[in-house]
Amino acid sequence: MSEETKKRFSRRKFVALTGGAVAASAILAACGDNTPTASTAATTAATSATTAAGSATSAAASAPTVAAVATAKALPADAAGPEQQVYVTHYDSTSDFTTIDFYESVYKRGGAISDILSDPLVRLDKNFKTVPGAATKWELDSTGLTWNFHLDPNLVWTDGTPVTADDYVATFQYGADPKHAWDFTWFFGGVVKNWDEAVAGKVPTDQIGFKATDPHTLAVTTVSPAPYIPAMLLYSNPMQKKALAANGGLYNSNVATSVSSGPYILKEWSKGNRVVYEANPKYMGNNKPFIQKVYCIGAAPSTDFASYQANEIDYVLGSNLSPADNTLIGQDPSIKNQVHPQPNDFRTDYLFFDTKNPPFDNIKVRQAFSHIVDRDSIIKQIITPSQGIPAYSFLMPGFPASNSQGLKDIQNYDVAKAKSLLAEAGFPDGKGFPALTLWLRNEAPVRVALAQAIAASIKQNLGINVEVANKENKTFTDAMNAKPTQIKFGMVSYGMDFLDPYNMLSVWLGGGRHNWNNSTFNDMVKKAASFTGDPAERIKMFQDAEKLLVTEAPGVFIYHRYQSDLYKTYLKGSELEPDQNGVAAIHWPGFINYDKVIGSLYMSKDAASAGRKLPK
Amino acid sequence: MVRYLIGRVIGLIIVLFIVSIIAFLMMHSVPGGPFDEEKNPLPPAAKANILKKYGLDKPLYEQYYLYMSNAIHGDFGTSFQSPTETVTDLIARTWPVSIQLGLMAIVLAFVTGLTAGIVAAIKQNTWIDYVVTFISTLGITVPNFVIALWLLLIFSIQLNWVPTGGWPTEGGEWTTAILPVITLALGPSALVARYTRSSMVEVIRSEYIRTARAKGLGERVVIMRHTLKNALIPMITILAPQVPNLITGTIFVEVIFRIPGLGKFFVSSIYLRDYPMIMATMLLVALLWSVTFLLSDILYTVVDPRVRLS
Repeated sequence: MSEETKKRFSRRKFVALTGGAVAASAILAACGDNTPTASTAATTAATSATTAAGSATSAAASAPTVAAVATAKALPADAAGPEQQVYVTHYDSTSDFTTIDFYESVYKRGGAISDILSDPLVRLDKNFKTVPGAATKWELDSTGLTWNFHLDPNLVWTDGTPVTADDYVATFQYGADPKHAWDFTWFFGGVVKNWDEAVAGKVPTDQIGFKATDPHTLAVTTVSPAPYIPAMLLYSNPMQKKALAANGGLYNSNVATSVSSGPYILKEWSKGNRVVYEANPKYMGNNKPFIQKVYCIGAAPSTDFASYQANEIDYVLGSNLSPADNTLIGQDPSIKNQVHPQPNDFRTDYLFFDTKNPPFDNIKVRQAFSHIVDRDSIIKQIITPSQGIPAYSFLMPGFPASNSQGLKDIQNYDVAKAKSLLAEAGFPDGKGFPALTLWLRNEAPVRVALAQAIAASIKQNLGINVEVANKENKTFTDAMNAKPTQIKFGMVSYGMDFLDPYNMLSVWLGGGRHNWNNSTFNDMVKKAASFTGDPAERIKMFQDAEKLLVTEAPGVFIYHRYQSDLYKTYLKGSELEPDQNGVAAIHWPGFINYDKVIGSLYMSKDAASAGRKLPK
Repeated sequence: MVRYLIGRVIGLIIVLFIVSIIAFLMMHSVPGGPFDEEKNPLPPAAKANILKKYGLDKPLYEQYYLYMSNAIHGDFGTSFQSPTETVTDLIARTWPVSIQLGLMAIVLAFVTGLTAGIVAAIKQNTWIDYVVTFISTLGITVPNFVIALWLLLIFSIQLNWVPTGGWPTEGGEWTTAILPVITLALGPSALVARYTRSSMVEVIRSEYIRTARAKGLGERVVIMRHTLKNALIPMITILAPQVPNLITGTIFVEVIFRIPGLGKFFVSSIYLRDYPMIMATMLLVALLWSVTFLLSDILYTVVDPRVRLS
């Protein structure tokens, strides 16, 4: 090798090395930049698939009769023509999206419109009341442990076979199958008979408490009385037993093997690009849609607002709007009437502690921290009032058993009290208190700012150093769930899965998400959960349990999230009209078969002149 | 030459092997797994089931051995984030999109960068030179996702000329390609312009150009044949590393413009702990860079007779 060549090579190597470093930092930067959106998607996918729109009571009116076959549902008088009855939204293309079936995976549905290819047993209306879905009625039998759900006998799959209780049973068995290793198995754990045993492989899945007593009756047997079973069985969209056996749990990921008994059929799924649904002409259920075609286009959530402004999509999930987007929206009068704030999944953000180890094993330390959060100024300065309200307890106003007024003074903002509690705990002015790291789960910038404000308040008022560390999602979850937990001090949120206080409060049960195990609390929650007497008495029991939770302070409650979704003014439907609390929005869980939005939403005449750019 | 090439190919295989070990160890040392426990911890039995399902209950060395022996036979496994297709299918589906985008950007970058660089060199220290310098500095320093958002805001939302996203071969109109190609090309184009300008300026002052001029050659021949040809040699160094960068896609541009390419998988695979896809993307990038360097070394011997491979 000549001297000249050597020189050139080394120069090129230098370029290569620096180029490599640039590439590496780009990937890292991409990681950092990308993860918040993906996490948003994961959490939204987890609790719902709120990617979509509205609803109308006329669905209920179109009772499923044989005569209804092939007759399209008559559009309301102010509706645009059929060519405009198209609904376009985005899903998060940076998230994990492999299935549109809850029982295949809850966390791999990409935040896309999903679970619309069959009917769940029950639905929610806009007032979060449980109403009939595929089950026309249900009742508890004399044992107090078995619920019988009576299915609508008219429901059919697109291959012509009837929907039977066997399809539901096969779906639940698939969920419990150890080989499937479903990511939501905890949901029925300790509730449905033999569920945990089946998941652990100790009994065959046909032993679980979901049985078909005749082709149209599903019997659900619980371990102990569970009055919340109908609410819980919101998540009961069946997969077809035949297709599941023939093609496996991903049969709906492919148009050729997809089969539907729900309001829509899968028309196209080009991976990484878009999912297209078309109204199911053979649908016999009680959620028959006006919208004939649904496009769900893969995009980064950060681009949703731009596409919305360019009239390419009809709806933007509030959590996908950045603070900058929200500032723009607030300043633009033409868009203000398209903002629809709503409690969504009643999500609460809170601080949590490892209560089994010092320093947070001392209740006085925890209580001191609970008095240091200035919620009012946090909402005003950081979160902004359209995005949340202060929280002094766990259950958000509007959620069953919420007692926010009654619990307001327990964790109130009181610096003097915080200081004296900390001194009583043996750390006057924070002397001798270890420095802390506040773990966040891949939070959006606004909540990182929130955490930093809290850290600053702790430093200033209690003299304790707190470093805020926004961790990547899986790293955080792994550390939180580790036994023993690796997170001493963290901030996280929780939103409901179904409308019962048991669901929210169970997150604080011993052995669960947090390292706090209070046997009194555990007993109170479990007793209230299985209480079958007077519902008002049951609510009171939950309220007592929540009071203990707030007093013991394994968590410090910061704020309840509001979600301000955007949708175009031509989206109409009775389910979008104000609910009993005056909230006019596409309620949780959105354009999905768990509520009545699908049967209600239509595009009004204004849609034709709105400059919509409908996909081809 | 042949011996040299054989040596380089063997070196390349060793590099891939080492990359595979490092990638494998690193991805398994990161906490978390391809399962999710977003809301509540999974029951231990369920977690054990998931580990077993993904083969993660086996010791690491065994997992590595299984992966490599399958990979050598062309089986790179099934992506966790797209279990209905193999990793090979997934790459075959998404990579062509990124290649189309990348190649268009390279061509655009080279043509515009070269033109701007030549003009700036000839019109050295005039306003044209300053404008080119200003734009190139902007192109190099402003990250492409910022440029993407600017373009989107101006041309899609304000002027409403082009769609905000999509891709021609994936159901979009041809106009969907305009903004992403420009966004991606701007950085490399600026780089090419800067280097072209400085090496042109250097060559223009050299003795043999003076000779060419003294011989009475026209300005066009002096610039195009004598100056440019020699000024282009360093371009290999500049452009070559851009090729693997651009044709493997970039997460920002693909995600912002809704292009279903390979780019996002470099990040999402890591984020989702999609082990087979992490391995495949790492090996792909390692292979592309190695091949690019080999090709540019060979190219040097072609364009610069003074360089010999031995």
